[in-house]
Amino acid sequence: MTAVPATLATATPGTYLEWRPVPPPYGPREQFAAGRQAAAAALAAAGSGVRTVPRVAGGRPDFPRGYPGSIAHTDRLAVAVVVPGAAGVGVDIEDAALTQRIIDFVLYERERRTLLAPAGRHSPVELFSAKEAAFKALDATAVGTGLLFWRIELARSDSGLVASFGGMSVPVWSRSEAGFSFALAVRR
Amino acid sequence: MPDQVMEARQRIRELLVEMHGPESFVRTVSDTVSLRQQGLSSAALVSLLVAMEDAFGFEWDDDIQPEVLRSISSLADHVVALRV
Repeated sequence: MTAVPATLATATPGTYLEWRPVPPPYGPREQFAAGRQAAAAALAAAGSGVRTVPRVAGGRPDFPRGYPGSIAHTDRLAVAVVVPGAAGVGVDIEDAALTQRIIDFVLYERERRTLLAPAGRHSPVELFSAKEAAFKALDATAVGTGLLFWRIELARSDSGLVASFGGMSVPVWSRSEAGFSFALAVRR
Repeated sequence: MPDQVMEARQRIRELLVEMHGPESFVRTVSDTVSLRQQGLSSAALVSLLVAMEDAFGFEWDDDIQPEVLRSISSLADHVVALRV
């Protein structure tokens, strides 16, 4: 599980990624705790003296000032990322199998036609994860008000994907490995 | 509370049980609490929305507001409002 984080971390200099396994019985409480442990480790690596991440209204994690970050988890694995100085950060990890109905619900027709194989190189779950990561990176902005993640539009870029909504855009890096899809969005 | 709202809440709860099992968070979740804060993932949320389209015979509008998707209660209210 270390190759994917490394490739994502090197995609954006100054990115601190940490991973923690979710212990049994893999419930919401264990997932939350593993996510906070990963966040504390990422904050420590980034040089933050504050390593706690409380929840604010709506459930969004409140990272220390100057150390924006994001947390995601499945029922087995948690990840946290901190990018000092970024305007917004979003990370996502997915291991869910997506049905065609869900793919059609979440992806625009143009995204399915241009980004999925054979025309594109992405899998449906990678694009799902990319939209979720972009949503988190945009969520603290004015454009984030009333935003649902599947309304974000994805397009190809030189470095991977770019996600856009309401006149704002954010680059997204995505990878799949070992049954997981990861996505990282960093807004400068 | 109108019967329609109660029936819609019950049906949504049944859909969640079908997806997550009777021993999941659904067993204890209240009608008004945020489903996302109870651990419902984004993929599971979309699965629920798709299942609701089939169960209630409608399609979600593009301009649906996020607060509608917050809880069993808000989802049921939306379904009932569509029928008025």
